[in-house]
Amino acid sequence: MTAANGASPAPDEGARPLPVDDGATDAAADVVIIGGGVNGTGVARDLALRGLKVILFERNDLAFGASGNSSGMIHGGPRYLLSTPSVTKSSCIDSGYIQQIAPNLLFRIPFLVPLPGGPRGKITLELYDAFFRAYDDYQPLKRGKLHTRLDPSELSRLEPGITGAVSGGVTFDEWGVDGGRLCVLNAVDARERGATIHVHSTVERIARAPGGHPDRPEYVVVAHDVLTQKRTRVRASVVVNATGAWAPITAALGGLSTKRVRVRPAKGIHVVFDRRLSNYGVMTDAIDGRQIFIEPWQNMSVIGTTDDDYYGDLDDVSATSDEVRYLVQGIAQVFPAVRQARAIGTYAGVRPTLYEYGKNEDGLSREHAVVDHARDGAPRVYSMIGGKLASYRIFAEEMSDRVARDLSSASECTTHKKPLPGGDRVPDALAIAREHTITPVAARRLVYRHGSRALRILARMQRKPRERALVCDCEPVSEAEVRHSVLEEMARTVDDVSRRTRLGLGACGGMRCAARCGQIVAEELRLAPREGLSQARRFLERQAKMRVVAMGPDQARQEALALAHLRSSLGTKEDA
Amino acid sequence: MRRVTVVGSGIAGTAAAIVAASRGAEVTLIDGGVGATVLAPGALDDDALWTHARGARALHPLVALVLEKLAAYHVPDAVPVVVATAAGIVRPARGRDRAVLDLSALSETTVLVPRMDQPTWDGAALARTWSDARFARERRLAFVAIPAQLTRLVDERDLPDADLAERHDAPERLAWMGSQIEDAIRRAGGPVGAVLLPSWLGIERERAGALSDRLGIPCGEALSSPGGPSGLRFERARNRSLTAARVQVTRARVTRLAASGGARVELESGATIEGDAVVLATGGLVGGGLEYTPGGAVSAAAVPPGARPTFHVTIDAGLTLSAFGRSMELPGSLFGAPPETHAWPFAADSLLEHAGVAVDEDGKVRGLGRIYAAGELVADRPRTWLDAALSGARAGARAAT
Repeated sequence: MTAANGASPAPDEGARPLPVDDGATDAAADVVIIGGGVNGTGVARDLALRGLKVILFERNDLAFGASGNSSGMIHGGPRYLLSTPSVTKSSCIDSGYIQQIAPNLLFRIPFLVPLPGGPRGKITLELYDAFFRAYDDYQPLKRGKLHTRLDPSELSRLEPGITGAVSGGVTFDEWGVDGGRLCVLNAVDARERGATIHVHSTVERIARAPGGHPDRPEYVVVAHDVLTQKRTRVRASVVVNATGAWAPITAALGGLSTKRVRVRPAKGIHVVFDRRLSNYGVMTDAIDGRQIFIEPWQNMSVIGTTDDDYYGDLDDVSATSDEVRYLVQGIAQVFPAVRQARAIGTYAGVRPTLYEYGKNEDGLSREHAVVDHARDGAPRVYSMIGGKLASYRIFAEEMSDRVARDLSSASECTTHKKPLPGGDRVPDALAIAREHTITPVAARRLVYRHGSRALRILARMQRKPRERALVCDCEPVSEAEVRHSVLEEMARTVDDVSRRTRLGLGACGGMRCAARCGQIVAEELRLAPREGLSQARRFLERQAKMRVVAMGPDQARQEALALAHLRSSLGTKEDA
Repeated sequence: MRRVTVVGSGIAGTAAAIVAASRGAEVTLIDGGVGATVLAPGALDDDALWTHARGARALHPLVALVLEKLAAYHVPDAVPVVVATAAGIVRPARGRDRAVLDLSALSETTVLVPRMDQPTWDGAALARTWSDARFARERRLAFVAIPAQLTRLVDERDLPDADLAERHDAPERLAWMGSQIEDAIRRAGGPVGAVLLPSWLGIERERAGALSDRLGIPCGEALSSPGGPSGLRFERARNRSLTAARVQVTRARVTRLAASGGARVELESGATIEGDAVVLATGGLVGGGLEYTPGGAVSAAAVPPGARPTFHVTIDAGLTLSAFGRSMELPGSLFGAPPETHAWPFAADSLLEHAGVAVDEDGKVRGLGRIYAAGELVADRPRTWLDAALSGARAGARAAT
């Protein structure tokens, strides 16, 4: 782990320097960052703000892994209060900062914890009351409201959907966020401040450049674009591996010790419902005693989450019906309406938890660590291990401080002061709706995702009125916003557009919007039109696979219609 | 005279009623509302995965009879038709709604695509995408977007296709569209072989023929989305042909088939209809004839009474379901069979598309009296328009004799 004085540790005995690559390079930078999740994009933004030259490679899309598939909360981590209160504290402090730099992106989610009736329930209520009293100490750090204690009638007034014998409950306050957009905005800001971001570009090799000082070697990172197969070779003084659960795989590309960057990948799934089912978040216990929740999130409800060791393919993580049933069963104990509700999809991610053997998944630490590969004979190569969405910024700051020291840069971190793109102010959505004759819902969604940059999208619509057309009615997403996500936010596929705008994630499953989105992506990126349609097919196939595990009677009818429509209008096979 | 009750008003029920009536039966058709046929976009397929290369097969004489009575479709004898879809592909089909443009005879020519400020029709993008389709490249068809504003009134910018199609039922409105297209053809500068339009060409009857006659070149629609005008045109064609065939149509929902006596149906209102035979054509999942009901249990302590297979027939008729030639058993899980094992949506052989009522060659439900089943309600048959028509026609023929 990081040495306290900042000096690189001496290499371990037997550690060998990386092989030398003496080929020509296409570009040079101070730092190469591998990984476009919240850690990688966070570091890219931090270093770019400090004036350093950054190149970032992401194998899939920004926020493809854990960052874009979380519970969507910048939560203070009450779950870690007993085991690692330092995680709770740093999460709460950073939640406060994130509210300041991205005010449009955060929304309050008050949570209720109903507790069972009977003597045992009453004791539990006292314990929870005391527990959240302790959590209250941290609430001011994130502008959270203090907890309250509710009697059964107050509880049922607030959330009539809660049933069963309850002795009362407690409330606590959290903040929701769209993790995918958080990554994208960090990356966009980094790029606007000079960073080069390569999405869909996988690193194939990390080597040492010829010559150079043994303690300050230069590195050559070779990557290829998986969509165009074009190879890029860049030279940099520092390499940061921020690939989350992929971290050991990335380290192995440079012949680094994978032992030091071991993670324990833990899969978590969520089930998405077609509307907001509850007024508040509701926390309860699953059959095995783990904490699970239902939360109103943006325009839908989400239940989550599981936490299971994962041994599968990190590039293709999906939920199973077993996991869905586990969650629905647990939530239905206190909120039975969830069983009649219409699930419209699932999503799944893999947490890069710090490695430990012999513990339950739940008991693993959520702390983060910077691994210095000097001990592997690769000074100034680092791996970021662990971390959480809520404390991404502080983790990025720690990493960036280290990099800045290496490069003798005196500039300080400003990521907690400078707003993310569009975060400088939040325009009035209703005024926008009136002025631009778009629906209030469309205006609100637009302002949520883009903050003040919504005005740029509205300006597109004024230049080209046909771009006001909605491509996705469920969300809703306009043609102008789709084009903006391609031109300004690095989307290169239909799937990427969906990750930035939530296009195609509604009840219809992308039936109407995917092909149109593919046409637009192909047009803006000058791809063959049939490539746009292929992207749409792949997106629909993937989404169908994610939906089917949660399928109930209503969604089954929709699936049958969507499948018939897909076969008729787009086909399930390529038309090469 | 035999009394035949047909339950369901999609293509399977309609075919059953037309054929049974043509065989001299006294037919009552019970129409329960919108189903898969009304949501279908206007291509007549006999192969769910139309991407397989294939030649045209001869139509069954009963299907030919049904199509003749409906008088709204075109199914050529020799070659498949080729249609362009609003999603941007060009694909073969066995037949088409007459309003839909058939590209099969075109080669080395220009297809004019109107370009206008209309949210649901990006003429430039569509023209580019269709031109990139394999059929277009092989036939050297150039789809060219030419400015032509075909909407006329302010409200039409946001109207659904079906409503715009209805406005073109009016001859003067169609004439206006014709003159707008003539202007566009002049602006195109070179020869134009066909005109491909949004699905706006009439509801009461298709107007593509009239427009083609006026312009002297084939004009027609691209294949629309579900809920487009093709389904509404089907409803009008169906109503005309059922009236002509003296079929009595009742707008109602059937709740039950009498188990004894064979052919009595009970309606939601409590009324009953007596008959000698019943053809059930209530559709699959989309139409509501079948329902997907994964297990009702939430915990092992709360097993619901009357556990049942994952799919069931929505009409209480004592029908058991089968798939892949076997009857469907109770799943070996309190929570129902895991959907990913039987409903993988892109597989051609998923349970989702095979589950249904087992019938013999003529559509007679095995083990029951004079009960027939047709269309998507039937197990192990392709879920296509033409197959639904064929199974309905056969069931109607048998029920009438």
